[in-house]
Amino acid sequence: MSEQNRPQILAESISALMDNQASELELQRILKACDQDADVKATWSRYQIVSASLRGEQVSVIGSDFAARISAAIDEEAALVAQPTAVTKKSQQGWFYQLGRVALVASVAGGVVLGVNQMTVTDPVAGQIASNAVVAPTPIEPAVSLPSGINSPAINTRTVAVQTGYETRPQENRRVTFQPLQANTVISDEEVSRYVNQMIKAHSDNAAMNSGQGVLPYARVIITDEE
Amino acid sequence: MPKFSLLLSSCLVVAITTPIPAQAVSSTSAIAASESPASAGLPSVQALLSKMSRDATQINYRGSFTYQNQTSIELQSFRVEHWIENGIEHDRLLFLNGPERLIVRDGQPVDCKAMGDKLLQGSFSQIGKSLIKMDQLYQFEIRGRERIAGRWSRVLQVIPKDPYRYGYFLSIDEETGLVLKSWLIDENARPLERYQFIALELNPDIEQLKAQVLPRQHKAVADVTPCNPTELTKPSAWQVAWVPPGFLFAGQRQLSSGQTMLMYTDGLTTFSIFLEATTSFIPEGLGKRGATLANMTRLVVKDVVYRVSVVGEIPVAAAAKIAQNITGQ
Repeated sequence: MSEQNRPQILAESISALMDNQASELELQRILKACDQDADVKATWSRYQIVSASLRGEQVSVIGSDFAARISAAIDEEAALVAQPTAVTKKSQQGWFYQLGRVALVASVAGGVVLGVNQMTVTDPVAGQIASNAVVAPTPIEPAVSLPSGINSPAINTRTVAVQTGYETRPQENRRVTFQPLQANTVISDEEVSRYVNQMIKAHSDNAAMNSGQGVLPYARVIITDEE
Repeated sequence: MPKFSLLLSSCLVVAITTPIPAQAVSSTSAIAASESPASAGLPSVQALLSKMSRDATQINYRGSFTYQNQTSIELQSFRVEHWIENGIEHDRLLFLNGPERLIVRDGQPVDCKAMGDKLLQGSFSQIGKSLIKMDQLYQFEIRGRERIAGRWSRVLQVIPKDPYRYGYFLSIDEETGLVLKSWLIDENARPLERYQFIALELNPDIEQLKAQVLPRQHKAVADVTPCNPTELTKPSAWQVAWVPPGFLFAGQRQLSSGQTMLMYTDGLTTFSIFLEATTSFIPEGLGKRGATLANMTRLVVKDVVYRVSVVGEIPVAAAAKIAQNITGQ
């Protein structure tokens, strides 16, 4: 792979990966490049934003220092255990080591993303920001794009990271995302959720009667303590 | 290798949190298509829709299914029981995840033909000639056979012909007409929600079903709209000047919450309109949970403020336009 062709080949691979068409080899190449080259990361991020926009999803952009901050936080903690080893960051055997660290950092980020997504998805302000946020308020260098509904400034990585998205909390499903017509609408999410859930329950009767699929629509109903 | 897979699961954060990859859709159709040569003598679309709407209500069964929607990665599971006694349908839906919750629906006469059934079965005599047939609303295609929950089913692909409704993948049990798998597909070919049976037992012991008593924290008794509740062909007191083509008024109900509920269906897709007079603040906007949308607005009729909500598994374009065309009389 010559230096000139490299970006183009990578770009094609990233494109393929976006379409779920990338080979194992391409994937590894991208992951490696992702680690070394900020441009690759930025390209991946950009593709995701474009793709999300095309699909009509809400896009919010978080600066690259998001991952760096988590990385720093982890370094801090790890130091307590691993102090005597005094790892040199740029050691030659570091490729795999670095990979592992990035993996750890990023998987934590993954956890945060899932967790936050569940927690803040009903925030009307966040929704409003997100829907206008293709032009991000933060100065973007290589940026990580995150799914919709994330209110970037409010993220407290420490607390949020404790809440992973993997917990089984079925009642979290009852949350209704709300996009107010007027940005300054002040209304409690709980109230909107309750109102919408009550209507969904009544509507399920219509759906179960008139959509030819038996009682399946009742799976959408949330039963609360009040009943 | 664990490190690698960790990395894999992280660099692609966005890909993971994207609800369901679009590729999944194409792979299903590929499977279905590859089997189509073996499935000569397919029933007509109309026969399949009729079977789905009519036969499935007339059998006794107990089954389990899973449900997932786009706003949550979580997979939920349910047990469903359906039996007929003295010509009346009984349904039990037990939530198998989280706290014990149960939905009970009793009282629907088995020979009741709701508006949706009439549309699916093509029995239009009472409705009149101006009716738009379902194949003008959706493009139907039988995509072969598929095995779901250990049973053979016909795969029916349903693509909407206008932007006011979603599409479906329905796998319909060949023997019973029960929908064993149902995907609701949005305009970008992404699944909005998925149901899929994992087990189905026909003709269970009804006495045993009736006898079981489980301690349950949450129980909801579903409202049952009486069969052909009124002879109304349009809502009383309200004018809904526009609904998407093919949608018919299916009934009106007064809810205990004080809301008036108007029901509409095109046979496969349903939406409901909720109206109530209020003096409190009305949050206007779009609520969404899973595939269900709630377009909430306010309407003033003769100095009375009404809270108007259009709720259903329909695109925003449809809900907003319906809401704009509601007036008082």
